[in-house]
Amino acid sequence: MYHLALKMLLGDRAKYLMLVGGLTFATMLMTQQCGVFFGLLKWTTSHLSNMRAKLWVVDRKVEQANELKALRDTDVNRVRTVPGVAWAVPVYVTVQSAKLADGNFKPVMLVGLDNATLIGQPPVLLRGKLESVRLPNSVIVDELAVRRLSSGRAKPLDLGDTFELNDKEARIVGICRADKHFFGYPYVYSTYTQALQFAPKQRKMLSLILAEPAPGWSLDDAAAAIEAATGMKAYTEEKFFWATIWWYFKNTGIPIAFISTIALGFIVGMVISGQTFYAFVHENLRHLGALKAMGASNGLLVRMLLLQAFIVGFIGYGLGALLVVGFGRAAVARGEPPFMFPWQLPAATFCLVMSICALSAVLGIRKVVKVEPAIVFRG
Amino acid sequence: MSATPTNPPALAVHVRGVSKTFGTGETAVTALNGVDFTARQGELLMIVGPSGCGKTTLLSVIAGTLNFDCGELDVFGSPLHRLKPREITEFRKRHVGFIFQAFNLIPTLTCIENICVPLLIGGVSRRVAERKALALLDEVGLGSRGHERPTNLSGGQQQRIAIARALVHEPRLIICDEPTSALDKDTGAHIMDLLRNAARNPNRCVIVVTHDNRVFKYADRLTEMEDGRVQRVHDQGGNYDLSE
Ligand SMILES: Nc1ncnc2c1ncn2[C@@H]1O[C@H](COP(=O)(O)OP(=O)(O)O)[C@@H](O)[C@H]1O
Ligand SMILES: [Mg+2]
Repeated sequence: MYHLALKMLLGDRAKYLMLVGGLTFATMLMTQQCGVFFGLLKWTTSHLSNMRAKLWVVDRKVEQANELKALRDTDVNRVRTVPGVAWAVPVYVTVQSAKLADGNFKPVMLVGLDNATLIGQPPVLLRGKLESVRLPNSVIVDELAVRRLSSGRAKPLDLGDTFELNDKEARIVGICRADKHFFGYPYVYSTYTQALQFAPKQRKMLSLILAEPAPGWSLDDAAAAIEAATGMKAYTEEKFFWATIWWYFKNTGIPIAFISTIALGFIVGMVISGQTFYAFVHENLRHLGALKAMGASNGLLVRMLLLQAFIVGFIGYGLGALLVVGFGRAAVARGEPPFMFPWQLPAATFCLVMSICALSAVLGIRKVVKVEPAIVFRG
Repeated sequence: MSATPTNPPALAVHVRGVSKTFGTGETAVTALNGVDFTARQGELLMIVGPSGCGKTTLLSVIAGTLNFDCGELDVFGSPLHRLKPREITEFRKRHVGFIFQAFNLIPTLTCIENICVPLLIGGVSRRVAERKALALLDEVGLGSRGHERPTNLSGGQQQRIAIARALVHEPRLIICDEPTSALDKDTGAHIMDLLRNAARNPNRCVIVVTHDNRVFKYADRLTEMEDGRVQRVHDQGGNYDLSE
């Protein structure tokens, strides 16, 4: 009987397409929007993925990676002397403005790396040599910087070109690929001392300290030792990651937008599929009643309806997920809009779409269970 | 025709004092009011009477599709008044074939698939069901139309498909409500021929509710109803004249 149940549904082209379309749309809306949302949250942790260090030592009050409070230069040495620390290096992170050839200004994320080790260096160097960054007035810029800072020029910025960074000349010695920052600022790398030259003088210039535990020390133990000895805050990379994500979750409107989009997708899917399926059952009630008269049990009819509902669910979900994967690939290839597709996301939308189908089926099932087989004799 | 006075055939349906009231209070309608009724094995029995006299209600009760308020009902030895709903469903599945005035074929399925339905509900495999359906399709003279949708067929052809569907699982009781009312005279006659044929099986009983006096002549016996009761039983359909 089940293949006939499917034929009954497929035979009603309009409703079938409506159901599949509605569920595809709901899947897309929920999955794609959440993917963008996750991608956006991921962008808030771009410092972590770009600098990569096991321990992050920051001011005691720092709650997340994008709100750093200045430390004293001497703090690096205090961390270095903590037992359990293998090494510690200073990093200077600041937003500075770059002047474009057309006279406009653009903010950039200036990262000053430890002169000796260059720890925190760009993840992927596309062109140039890393060591060149130690030359006077030299910087390595990311691809976004090339795009952003080239406006007003005949040719895009390239190795050897210069631009004005906070009224001082910066020469490009390398082009790298870096994860995009939440604020959309391009990354510009220089050495720590060079960065201090670019930036206006301030009393405290150290942003954070990257460190690694000594052999035999666990990350957590080393972090605890640093905190106890220095009074600063020491995060493991993972803790800093989640603290940052969580901070944006709690302190911005993003989650609300995110939850309302999911709710919207769910409601749209529910309304379209629920009411289409209900109409389908309603229009077929006479035939379902006839099947009942011919001895089909409620159980059989319920299973037929569930099959119909879940088949359109699977097809709609499949199409929706495919479209989102296509969108996601394009987004990731271009670098924007932000997009992240952890497996939990399609799994969660799968469950939501299936619950839409279950609820739609329940609407129809209630009607079918109640129908008297004797209705088949009534005109 | 098949009733021989010397050796009366066994009862297929035995209804004793069955009543059925729809609704309650002011709007209550008593559709059946203490009906006594019998149908024999191997006969084609017609139930006739004016509109609203309770024919369809009685047919629904006999078919096991409608609960009744009081009375007793045996169908081929099964006491329906004592069976649980699940057992009644099982009973319908095995023993009852249905033919309706509006055919009630499923428009999105082909004719063969429609005919298969009672077998598939009964758990028969798809292959076996389709083979039997094809045989029945030949029997009703529509062997070449099996893969078409019922909506492509004329009313008479659709009713023939419905007859094939009602017979395919070889039920003992065939229930027909106004099977010819939507058809012209010749088409109706063809349908009645098929039903007449089905009733030749001595283990079977065909009950036809109708107010179509053109087909009375096909009945072995005629039960005349009025106001929710059986008024008379006529032994020869052909001699009965509704125009009186
Ligand atoms: N489901 C129902 N609800 C209320 N009244 C009904 C219902 N079915 C039948 N009736 C009433 O019962 C009476 C008998 O109906 P029915 O058996 O259909 O008569 P017939 O088939 O002889 O025309 C009619 O008055 C009809 O209005
Ligand atoms: Mg009637």
